[in-house]
This record gives sequence, C-alpha cells and structure tokens, in this order.
Amino acid sequence: MSNPSGLEIDVARLALRQHHNDTSLITNLQITVPPGIVHTVMGASGSGKSSLLAAVCGTLARVFTFEGAVSLSGQRIDALPTEQRRVGILFQDDLLFAHMTVRENLLFAVPAGPRAQREAVVKQALDDLELPGFSHADPATLSGGQRARIALMRALLAQPHALLLDEPFSRLDAGLRGRMREFVFATVRTRQIPVLLVTHDEADVAEAGQVTRL
Amino acid sequence: MVLALLLGLLIATPVLGTMGSAIAAALDLQAWRAMRDDPQLPRALAMTLCTGLAATAISIALTAWLLSRSFPGPLWTRTVKALPAMLAVPHAAFAIGLAFLIAPSGWLLRAISPWATGFDSPPPWATTQDPWGLGLIAVLVAKEVPFLLWAAATQLQRADTALRWARELDVARSMGYAPRTAWWRVLWPQLWPRLAGPMLAVLAYSLTVVDMALVIGPTSPPTLAVLAWEWLLDADATINAQGAAAAWLLAGVVALLAGGLWALRGRLRRRGWWVSGKRGRGSAGKRFKMPRIASSYPMLTLATLYLAVTLALAVGSVSGVWPFPRLWPESLSLQGWQSVFASASTLWTTAALAAISSVTALLWAVAWLECAPPAWDAHLRRLIYLPLVLPSVLWVVGLHRLCLAWGIDARWPGLWLVHSLAAAPYVLIALSPAYLGFDARYRQIAASLQKSRVTFLMRVKWPLLKASLWGALAVGFAVSVAQYLPTLFVGAGRFATVTTEAVTLASGAQRSLTAAYAWLQWVLPALVFGVAAWLGQPRRFARVASTAMQGAVLNGASGTGGAAS
Repeated sequence: MSNPSGLEIDVARLALRQHHNDTSLITNLQITVPPGIVHTVMGASGSGKSSLLAAVCGTLARVFTFEGAVSLSGQRIDALPTEQRRVGILFQDDLLFAHMTVRENLLFAVPAGPRAQREAVVKQALDDLELPGFSHADPATLSGGQRARIALMRALLAQPHALLLDEPFSRLDAGLRGRMREFVFATVRTRQIPVLLVTHDEADVAEAGQVTRL
Repeated sequence: MVLALLLGLLIATPVLGTMGSAIAAALDLQAWRAMRDDPQLPRALAMTLCTGLAATAISIALTAWLLSRSFPGPLWTRTVKALPAMLAVPHAAFAIGLAFLIAPSGWLLRAISPWATGFDSPPPWATTQDPWGLGLIAVLVAKEVPFLLWAAATQLQRADTALRWARELDVARSMGYAPRTAWWRVLWPQLWPRLAGPMLAVLAYSLTVVDMALVIGPTSPPTLAVLAWEWLLDADATINAQGAAAAWLLAGVVALLAGGLWALRGRLRRRGWWVSGKRGRGSAGKRFKMPRIASSYPMLTLATLYLAVTLALAVGSVSGVWPFPRLWPESLSLQGWQSVFASASTLWTTAALAAISSVTALLWAVAWLECAPPAWDAHLRRLIYLPLVLPSVLWVVGLHRLCLAWGIDARWPGLWLVHSLAAAPYVLIALSPAYLGFDARYRQIAASLQKSRVTFLMRVKWPLLKASLWGALAVGFAVSVAQYLPTLFVGAGRFATVTTEAVTLASGAQRSLTAAYAWLQWVLPALVFGVAAWLGQPRRFARVASTAMQGAVLNGASGTGGAAS
C-alpha cells in the first residue's frame, strides 16, 4: 500500500515558546523510516521527543513551533489536519474509551462500510489477539497487557499508513514489557508500515541500526 | 462528641421541623380537592411542564454545543475565567435586566426602531410576561448555561481527566475522525453521565422557580409554582391550604420527572451511532483551524448578553425621561437612587440580615466540620441539603408553619432562622473542600510542640484557611441577600430587602427604582465577595536578602527543564 519512501521527517527547528522566549528543543534532524521498520528515538524527558511525535501526527500544542517537513509515502502531510494524515498513534496509556466495550472500541476504528464486514474484521482482530471471549467486556476489567494489545489493534484497524509509539511499554511491569515488545514489533512488521518509537529505555530499541539519539 | 451531637441537633431540629410542618400541611384532604377543582390548575401545570422541560432541554443542548466548540483549547480556558462573573449575577436581578432588554419599550426594539420596524411607540406586545412563557424560558436558559458549563468545568479542570480526554480526542482524530465528530462520539458520552446531577438540579430549578417567573413569566395562567405562591399569599386560610397542596403537587411532579429521566438515562445512549465508523465531514481538503472570532462567537454572545443586562440595569437606574425610539435617556436622574436611600431601612435590613445569617451559618459550619465524625457528617448533609432539592415554595410552607408554632414568625428571630438555614448548606459546601483537605499533620506538629487545640486553631489552622473562611462567609451573605420567598412569607411582608423590593416593583412602572434595587441585589454580594477576597489574601512577606534569593533561584531553575515534554 505505501510507497517505498516510507516516513520522512525533516526538522529544521522545533521550539517551545514561553513568555516570549523561544527554547529550541530539536534542530536539524532528519529521520527516514522505511516501511516495515521500527525506528527508535531515544532521549531523556524534556528532550522534545514527545513533541516530535505530536508534530508528525499534527497534535502539537500552540506553545510549540515546528519548522520543517513531514512526508508520508512521498506526500507532504505537515500542513494537513490530524484526521487526514493517516498517522496512527499509541500512547503510554492505552486510552481505550471507557464508555465502549472492547468490541465497540475496535469497531470505532474500522472504516465505515457494510456492517457484517466490519464485524468480521473486529472478530478476526480479537482472534489474532487471542482474546476471542472478550468482545463484550468492559475495558476497565482487563489486565494492563490485554488493554495494551487491544489499543495497538485499535490503532491498526484504522488502517494508518504510519504508526507512532510514545513510550508504549513504560507503564507495563517488567515481565510483561518484553512480551509486549515482541508482540508489537511482530505485528507492525507484518503490516509493512513505517513505525516511529520514542523511549528513554535502551531495551526498547527494535533495530540497532535505526536509532536516533536526541 | 457531645458538642457534635448538640451542633447536629441545632440544625436537624429546624430542618426536620420544617419538613414535618410541610407534611402536616399536606394532610388536608379538602385542600387537595379544592386544588383539583380549580380551573387554573391544568393550564398552570401544563405551563410548568412546558417551560421547565424546554428550558432544561435547551440549556443542556446549548451547553453541549458550546463545549464541543471550545474544549479542548484556549477558548475553554477563557470561558472558565468568565464563568464566575456570570454565576454571580443574582437570578432575580438578571430577570429584571433581561426584561428591560426585551420589553416592547426595551433596548432591543429601541435599537432597531424606527428605521427597521417603523415603530414610533412601543408595540402592544407581551414580550416579557408572554402567555407562552418564552421570556421565562430565555431567562432560565441564560442563567442555567453558565451553571452547567461550570459543572462541566469541575470535571474538565481535573488535570488527569482533562489530559486523558484531550488525548482520546487526538487518538480519534489520528484514526481519521473530524474534530467535531470525535467530540460527540468520544467525549460527550463520557462527560454527560457525570453531569447528570447538575442537569437534574437544572430541571428541578426550572420547574419550581418563583422569583424569576414573577418578573418575566406568564401571568394567566402562571406556572404552578407561582400559582401555589399566589394561593399561599391569599388572605383566605382555605386558599392557603390549597397552595400548600399545590406545592406538594409540584414536588411530586419534580420527583416523577427526575426519577423518570434518571431511569431512562441508560437508554439515551446511542451506541450504534458511536461506532458506525463514519468519520464525519467538516475539514475535507481545508486546513482545520477556524478564524478565532468565528470559533468563539457563541461564547461571546453569552458574555455580551450578561454585559447588556447589567448595562440595562445600570442605565435604567439613572434614567429620567426616556421617550420610545431613543437609544439613550433624554435626561438622567438620580431619583431612583434617592428613593432607595430615603428608605434606608431596606438596605439595613438586607445587610444586617445577611451579615448575621452568614456569620451564624459560618460559625455553625466551622464548629461542625471541626468536631463531627465523618460518618455523622455524611448523614447530616443529606438532611441539610433538603432545601436545595425541594421546591422553594414547598419549603417556605414548612418554614412558615414552624415559625408560627415557635412564635417567631414576622419577627427578626424568625427571619434570622430561615436565612441561616438557607445559607448553611451553601456555606458548608463552599468550606468543606479546603477544611476537610487540611493536612492533619499540622495538628500533630502543634501537639508535639505542646500547643493546645485552641492555640492550634487560632494560630495555625484558621489563619491558613483564611481565604476559604472569608469566601464561605461571602457565599452565605450572597445566599441570604437573594432570598425572596422566605423573607416575604416568614416576615409576613413586614421586612423589605432589596430582593423583595426589586421583585415586587418589577411588575410596576417605576423603571429607575426597580433597576436601582436590582443593581443593589447584585452589587451588595459583589462588594462582600470583593472584601472577602481582600481579607483572605495570603500573607505578604518582606523580601529576603538578595544573596539568599540567588541561592533559591539557582535551586529552582534546575526543576524547570521538564516542562517541555
């Protein structure tokens, strides 16, 4: 589906404006993420790595200024509103909607279409997650690992052309973290989309050659 | 424990006495029959249902719409800042001001006459006490929308919730949902169940309001609450009993509607629609950002309305001769204000009554919070919040009978009691968060320094809670000033306050005098809030020597780097 050029980020300058002072967080940074690759951005808190993700998906708060370009599959997307960028995002919190069941959360992401077809997509997704009996469950009753997997699946069901991961493993306990990492990396690789992961944990690095340090 | 018991009894006795008296008033079968056979009843009941339900529905819809256009974003921050000023305008004063605006001789028509309308004299329209209750609905909506927005703000200001919901909206948008579609499917279904309580309060208030309905509501027939009130004021005791029955009927209607809506609330959710997968239109091909003015105009309209109302009152209070199509009075006159100050006793009654009742309520609330066990507190609150839940017209029936039985009606002690009872729940609500949240370890530290409890309270706790104590006192003052029904009914009409005068005069033709009293009804509490804020300021400390400051700045600077992520 996506063009071989994948996700290209070219930051001339990303700055925080506070009381008429501009603080540059990131300057002169180029990242290219080919499809099917998980690129890792490492940095301490305050280094601007979450703001970088916000700039890519278009949710940057007004106090920030972004100068540069973001392209996906060869098309500039940095002037588009979030909902037209086709960039999915996964935060450290699962952010499953509390007023919907697991099935409804997934159905929310599936593009509009014939009802039976959409339901089948959700059923298949739950089977892939090995959570087939959970379709009518309240998300709040599930374990942290189950919720994290559902959140990832929800992001993917919206058929994004790129995926951003904002420290998605930091809230999980140590035992679960490793398994979740494997699950995420394996799942996104089969989708053949570029993935950008920000983290402060060295153990999260997916591919040794694909790391940017801020 | 003994003290707590005494304090509990101190407030439980009059509340239970009032309730008992109100119930006793309902036991007159003859009165119920007379009420049922009264020809005005069916239309009054229909009017109450129409205005109450319409005002509630419009208020909720408008609140949701305003919220969907402002949260999250800088507009919401500005809205929250504007809310206290809107909430501080008393209901009766607002109704009088709005009546000045929309009356046939009001500013709205003057502004477009005669060039647009061709009117050289006020048209014979019933715009303020219109038979359809439209004026009443308008004033209720204008007053309830800020309240509902404020209730939403208490949910959305909680840092954890606000951040989570803002992120959830981002997630939905990253899946391709238009911002407004995301808001209605993700945020609103989670927000409104938390506003169910305030929404029911709006319903109960809209169905039972008397003072605003007297000013701007329909007259023949009036709403059920006003009809009951008129019957209660009648010289004939059998008609008074009929009024008590009507007050109970009103309470029943409120309970039935509130219960019905509460039971239905689960079914009001449209799950299928949330997950239809349709992404919504709105920004296809365009950049999302709307011009600032366009996105903020609904909120601007509301703020402008409040400004116009207060301006109408201000100008009205000094207007002399003011022939119709002119936008500005031909002559200004201080006659209204002179009359107000000539009857200085009204001002004094208002201020003195508000002062002693708010002090009484505050003393009681502090003593109660200081010595009541938490379990008792929870039980007692259910009891003393009763006057907030019951129709005010029913509550005064009980108050009046209680004061008669105790021999304090139409006298200062009676008014003091009813105003203190009215102020107590609000003072308690205003004071509780800060008072109950006070760090208990201060007490232990004081005790370990061999300080007595009295020393601790006088030197540590109360000085630290100064702002909340003064704030709660001002709330009590404002509540007392706004009391209309109890002042008139228990005072047997012998005690005039700015509120009773303003509402009574509103139906007459003395524009400047009415406006002056309405202004006072608003200005008196506002002054007290101002003084309370000034008295409650945190202590200012002298500047520390510059070398010591430098150290503090250096230590502080290292902690600011984390704000960026």
